[in-house]
Amino acid sequence: MIEFTKDPQNTIPSSLVKIIGLGGAGANMLDRVALDGMEGAEMLALNADIRTLSGSVASERIQLGRNLTKGLGTGGDPDLGQKVMMEAEKEVRSAIKGRKIVFLCVGLGGGTGSGGAPILTRIAREEGAFVVVFATMPFGFEGHRRREQAETALNELAVLSNALVVFDNNRMGELVLAKQGIHEAFSAGDRMISDSIKAVIRLVIRPGLIHVGLDELMTALRTTRSRCLFGSGMASGKDRASKALTNALSSPLLDKGALLKEASSVLVHICGGDDLTLYEIELLMQKLMKYVPAKAHVLFGAAIDTNMKDSLSITLISALPEEKLRSSNEDAERIVLAPTEGFEFDVSEEQPEPEPIAQKIDFALTDAIPTVATAPVVTAAPVTEAVEEPDATAAPIAQIDDWLDLPSTVFAGGERPFAEHVQDDPIADFAHATTTPASVADAARDLQEALQASIAHEPDELSEAEPEHKTPDLGDLLEKTRTRLSQQESLFDGDARGKFADTEPNLVDGDDLDIPPFLRKKKK
Amino acid sequence: MARAKIHVGLEIGTSKVCMVVGEVKSDGSVKILGLGTSKAAGVRKGEICDYSKIRECVDDARMKAEEASDVEIGSVFLSVSGAHIQSINNVGTYRLPDNEKQIQPEHIAEANDIAKDINISPEHVYLHNILRNYRVDGFAHSSSPVGLFGKTLENDFHVVTGIGTRIQNSIKCVRELQMDVDDVVFAPIATAQLALNRAERERGALLIDIGGGTTDYALYLNGCIAASGCIPAGGEHITNDIHMLTGLSFSKAEGLKIKEGDASGDQSRSVGTIKIPVDEKGFSQQEVKREVLNEVIRQRLIEILTLVRKRLPPGSEQLIGTGIFLSGGSSLMRGLDTLTHQIFQRAIYRAEAAEISGVQANFKDPQYATTLGLIRYAQLADLEKQNSAPKGLGRFWPFRRS
Repeated sequence: MIEFTKDPQNTIPSSLVKIIGLGGAGANMLDRVALDGMEGAEMLALNADIRTLSGSVASERIQLGRNLTKGLGTGGDPDLGQKVMMEAEKEVRSAIKGRKIVFLCVGLGGGTGSGGAPILTRIAREEGAFVVVFATMPFGFEGHRRREQAETALNELAVLSNALVVFDNNRMGELVLAKQGIHEAFSAGDRMISDSIKAVIRLVIRPGLIHVGLDELMTALRTTRSRCLFGSGMASGKDRASKALTNALSSPLLDKGALLKEASSVLVHICGGDDLTLYEIELLMQKLMKYVPAKAHVLFGAAIDTNMKDSLSITLISALPEEKLRSSNEDAERIVLAPTEGFEFDVSEEQPEPEPIAQKIDFALTDAIPTVATAPVVTAAPVTEAVEEPDATAAPIAQIDDWLDLPSTVFAGGERPFAEHVQDDPIADFAHATTTPASVADAARDLQEALQASIAHEPDELSEAEPEHKTPDLGDLLEKTRTRLSQQESLFDGDARGKFADTEPNLVDGDDLDIPPFLRKKKK
Repeated sequence: MARAKIHVGLEIGTSKVCMVVGEVKSDGSVKILGLGTSKAAGVRKGEICDYSKIRECVDDARMKAEEASDVEIGSVFLSVSGAHIQSINNVGTYRLPDNEKQIQPEHIAEANDIAKDINISPEHVYLHNILRNYRVDGFAHSSSPVGLFGKTLENDFHVVTGIGTRIQNSIKCVRELQMDVDDVVFAPIATAQLALNRAERERGALLIDIGGGTTDYALYLNGCIAASGCIPAGGEHITNDIHMLTGLSFSKAEGLKIKEGDASGDQSRSVGTIKIPVDEKGFSQQEVKREVLNEVIRQRLIEILTLVRKRLPPGSEQLIGTGIFLSGGSSLMRGLDTLTHQIFQRAIYRAEAAEISGVQANFKDPQYATTLGLIRYAQLADLEKQNSAPKGLGRFWPFRRS
């Protein structure tokens, strides 16, 4: 007799999931996740500040910088954050070992978070985990410097992590009412992150009727250096399907669903109690389709979880390439000529983020490996794609074959400039490996190490390359603002009266009342 | 006096034309029979600039009002506004002849004539001459001093004038629709009839009517009018400001103003952004920062209110005991009460009619305050006529037909 065991559908046991909170903000998020009740998953708190670390509810804690900072924080210095993380590397590595998925919660802008997160991500990737980073960006009022630190870290994380979900604290005002206390605003932000983590875990761990797993998650987040779009909503009772969808779309990351219009693939996961009906799912998907472009790849999953009782949850995950965000920003700039301080196209919230990282990294690598510069694909693609699952030896062969097509022009060209320059052996192996699939996996790992070695240097080079790269931008910007100003001024003189343009001046006490007061005051 | 009388008030505003039919009952109470409004086109800052358009609007409003009230409208009280309307207080002093000690009606008439005789530019005509009070030898009397003994008689008048041709054109516009104009009333004076009761006027009250294209004000001190005027800026300017700043279309800017605007200056109400949803006509989604929107609105309203404040006679501000009454469509702006209080440091009220019966929903809305006030004005003018003291409120405007 053939024994039939119900296949757990390649779900990942929750013991293989680790949630890490790094730094002060990370610890807060972790606490929120713990308080919301995340059964099974392991929690790890990492911090240099012993006081906040001891206050954490996480089951596992690692103190960073035992010798360097001696229990104090990093004082907002990312370099120090980097060093303390390096110091604790062994401990961290052993804590992450063997985990399939690592969720990293971090607040960027400070020292421990901004400095440590990229290194932690790299360590986790090296240990073979799928890394999802949940990062918060600092408030606008925290100053330019912190923002810059956060952005540098974010750019690195975008390259290193498998998936990056960014919450901008500046948008937190939309989560709570203005009059609510600051603690509520922060806890709303933490709650949102906690919901996101739970949703992703639910998605990956639970067996589904229509299963979506890591592979679909990766497809949805496939595009390199993308902005993760995420929304999750829950509702119960009558009309729960549409309510849950509305809740999911009201996520600040989705901008009421407007950002989904650009998405090329969207992962939808619906989870409900025993009474989840097909009709509900149909209804919900119909509504969702209004927000998603017709040609988009919709990855649909549904699961039954008896714990949900009569409520229904929906999770939307998608990724938007940053070029798209950026290009629409440029469009916005081109269209709007009038003085527009308060007017933004909806994407501009992402404005600080879409730095041209691709170019920057190319620059950095060009410094290190000048000959590779001709084929930027090599630097951009393998780092994120090939590294994705180094242990899963079965899958990569196909993948590696895919991307081997690209570099072959460089590597197979006989001269092997790349190999010569970096490290001879692995690349030589790698070049041979094109014919012998058995060693492809090893070669891939070697290449990954080689590349990561170069990325490890990157921060220094980045900081060197950055000023050069940025100066023309700044000049442009200044130029732009200047031209804009002169446009404004000409506006004052002429038709700054809108609909009253063709009427006689409406003079009262020497002021033309038809001109908006804010323009007149500026002029004075 | 025993029978009920029907009066009709017509306001041709910048944003809407509004006609109200009211019945003044024999006991003096007022009942609103019907109300017709139509969106105005062809009016700028309270003055008509396109006659054929506005005729259609008035006709439309009339049909609606007639339908609602079941009354055929033959004549109206017309309210006017506009920057050209000015007001001054003038005192006519008459010294009684040496051989007469007792004040006679003809002495008062003489003083009135002197008071009227102010230096107005030739194109201006009188709209109102409102008697504020009499003074006999420097001693104020609010009722007629006929029969009193005195040496000098002073009649204090509030004179409202406007450019004759513009007022004539408004009247012509109404007459072309086969309606007669009973009287022309300066808008804030009509509104005040409704909004301010005797006690409030006695203690001192300022009425500010922020309409679509104009802001009208009337100040009452010691029970009589002390100042009135018009500032040619209103709600439409706010919309225009928003339009210019954000590049939004007028209709969207208007919607944004009504739905989201706040003038209080409360920082906590200026947090976040407002999303303007995509519509069928191809607008992409846009967002406006609350902070900016509210600041634009606030700047404009601060300016309007400061202009009103500057126009008040010096020192009169301290005499406003009751407070400030806000009316007009723009007074519905959130936070305007806070802002007005910041500027004037006086109690703020919403102008509301207390003693009118009829369709309640209509006259709670400050948009209709002026038109409803016209009915009250008509009622008072009627009373005046019945008392028919020629020495009383002399209304000597040149447009009356008969």
